[in-house]
Amino acid sequence: MLKIEHLNKKYGDKKAVDDLCLHILPGEIYGFIGHNGAGKTTTLKACAGILDFDSGEITVDGIKMKNDLLACKKKIAYIPDNPDLYEFMTGNQFLNFVADIFGVGEKDRKERIDSLAETFEIKKNLSDAISAYSHGMKQKLAIISAWIHEPQLIMMDEPFVGLDPKASHILKQMMREACEKGSAIFFSTHVLEVAEKLCDKVAIIKQGRLIKSGTMDEVKGDDSLEEVFLELEGE
Amino acid sequence: MFKALLKKQFMEINSWLLQDKKSGKRRSVGGMVFLIAVYAVLFASLGVFFYGTGLTLCAPMTELGLSWFYFAVMGLLSVLLGAFGSVFNTFATLYKAKDNELLLSMPIPPVCILASRLLGVWFWSFIYVALVFVPALLAYLTVGAFSVSAAVSGVLVMLLISVFVLTLSCILGWVVAKISTKLKNKSIVTVLLSLLFIGLYYVGYSKAYAVLQALIENASFVGEKVRGAAYPLYLMGDAATGNFLSLVLFSLMIIFLFAIVYFLMSRSFIKMATANNTAARTKEKKSRIKARGLKGALLIKEFRRFVSSPVYMLNCGLGTVIIPVLGIFALIKRDMIGEVAVFLGSDAAALLACAAMCMAASMNDITAPSVSLEGKHLWILQTLPIPSHLPLFAKLKTHLIVTSIPVLVCALCLSVAFSFSAFDGIMTVVVSELFVVLNASFGLFVNLKMPNLKWTDETVPVKQSLGVLLTLFGGWILIIALGALYFAVNSFIAARVYMIVCASLFAALSLALVLWIKKKGSRIFATL
Repeated sequence: MLKIEHLNKKYGDKKAVDDLCLHILPGEIYGFIGHNGAGKTTTLKACAGILDFDSGEITVDGIKMKNDLLACKKKIAYIPDNPDLYEFMTGNQFLNFVADIFGVGEKDRKERIDSLAETFEIKKNLSDAISAYSHGMKQKLAIISAWIHEPQLIMMDEPFVGLDPKASHILKQMMREACEKGSAIFFSTHVLEVAEKLCDKVAIIKQGRLIKSGTMDEVKGDDSLEEVFLELEGE
Repeated sequence: MFKALLKKQFMEINSWLLQDKKSGKRRSVGGMVFLIAVYAVLFASLGVFFYGTGLTLCAPMTELGLSWFYFAVMGLLSVLLGAFGSVFNTFATLYKAKDNELLLSMPIPPVCILASRLLGVWFWSFIYVALVFVPALLAYLTVGAFSVSAAVSGVLVMLLISVFVLTLSCILGWVVAKISTKLKNKSIVTVLLSLLFIGLYYVGYSKAYAVLQALIENASFVGEKVRGAAYPLYLMGDAATGNFLSLVLFSLMIIFLFAIVYFLMSRSFIKMATANNTAARTKEKKSRIKARGLKGALLIKEFRRFVSSPVYMLNCGLGTVIIPVLGIFALIKRDMIGEVAVFLGSDAAALLACAAMCMAASMNDITAPSVSLEGKHLWILQTLPIPSHLPLFAKLKTHLIVTSIPVLVCALCLSVAFSFSAFDGIMTVVVSELFVVLNASFGLFVNLKMPNLKWTDETVPVKQSLGVLLTLFGGWILIIALGALYFAVNSFIAARVYMIVCASLFAALSLALVLWIKKKGSRIFATL
């Protein structure tokens, strides 16, 4: 579903992403871990098509991003680390805006908005201005907007930050259900316990370079993911 | 503890001078000197104005033995200026201060927080009051009656007035805070109130001379009426002339009023300061699910952005109100305007009307900060599967819709007022509307070239950006240049031909800019 080949991105002289190669298959939950400033957000942004990269290739469902960016974006949903949404809109207006852009029909969007808003318990808040939302509520709204067009590839940057335990649990379920339907999920996190329990595969990045990747068993063996991560970081 | 609070408060007051709000950095010495010089000139100009007003009123009133009435009028003026200047400052300082929660979480009695904040508000109230009252007192000492007791009591009354202004600002600030927690369409209401104030200001300004004259001519009669109906005003005026008893009574009255307000405020301070003002801001009447096309969705988004911000509407969309007013004014004064048309000829009058319309249309520069205003939300448009030029065209369309309709109304009004021929009327519409397209595309072009996405306060891209300035003055400069060119070549070229030339120029420039926006601009927007 997502193929990253020899991706390079520099900020001035600093290499943010250095020859990164990853392959995420349909139905996989792929965790992306690394210390602050390792290059996770840069990679995710490049895959979401909002950050130009210097060299390499990103392919979404067989479509090269450099060849047809819009076709790639139609298959993607992206949630940034900080859910900065239009504060001049209400929750409903924002969801309708996103649904309009993705061409989701009235019947489908109503069903999805109702169902997801109910699941996240923010249905009664959808008529409020987003400016009145807490960080967690904005995050929930961003998640609903990402799921509204049933994307094939969902990319999330630290999606669990700001969510209450119940919402985190719901999101994990949603991720699993989406993958069962054939979508792929690529997300970054600092919560290694979550990554360990949730992910089918994991990639560890350090100073822009991939230092280890594979299935969870391949990466951690008999140790915990935290132990492996700390060991690799220390090298 | 209170001393530390006061120190913090005065650091906050001094920050306008010491700190550059835009960059957050400390100002250079040169920057501070420049700022002080600008304010000194501004204050001196206002001082001269109020001194002149004082001189006009003081001599005739003192001759009639109505010195108290002179001080009552000038005192009232200072109260009005002070209250107007302080009310929003009071609201922001008392109830919207960013450190309210921080201070309330510390072991500080809320009354101390309130008192330190009030001192900050009083400082600005005093500045506003002094702007009027110091020149008024100087005028009295110059042409009225000079005495030390009058000078001392004048200064004391000025201090008391500033306390009264503080009391009034607290009440009004409290009302504003209350309203802001309840108000739904706050942006629209703010814009309407601002426009109402601008209208009242201009009416007041145009009538000020007549009011002053009437006051001088009927001073005795009005003075008696005031003394009977508004005794506190008489006390204030009389106290300023040096009457000790009036001074004591006036002081007691002001202190009593302030004490009551302070007591009431201290009781509701925590509740008001911690109220979530955004909670009641907007609520849809009914949750609506309605599908729109891609372009429609983007256009609606742009409109929502525009009407959500009073700062944006007032600074970049004022023309929408001014332009039709210009047309209606032309219709009302059509007899006089008709004479101009007869004198100039229909074609030259049409050219003049075009110039006026274009100047007015320049006041709308909605596109000029529109890219910058995406700010931290830019990622949303960038991740959506849409060609990058579509959001930009939605910004253009918003500008065109908001501006071209008032321009059309105004052009039709002017055509009727000037009794244009059909050709001149059509050309007035065509030239003005093409200028609107040019202005909109130029604003967007400039903003794409000079975007500022890292702002924390939207007044930065709306009011303080070079792009907005270039768009506003660029339009005016173009019109002035074309006007000057016409005067240079009007013996060779007829006004109607010149209008066609202008229309062609505007169309060609607009086309070039729109093509640039679609090709290069969209690439810039996608990679911002």
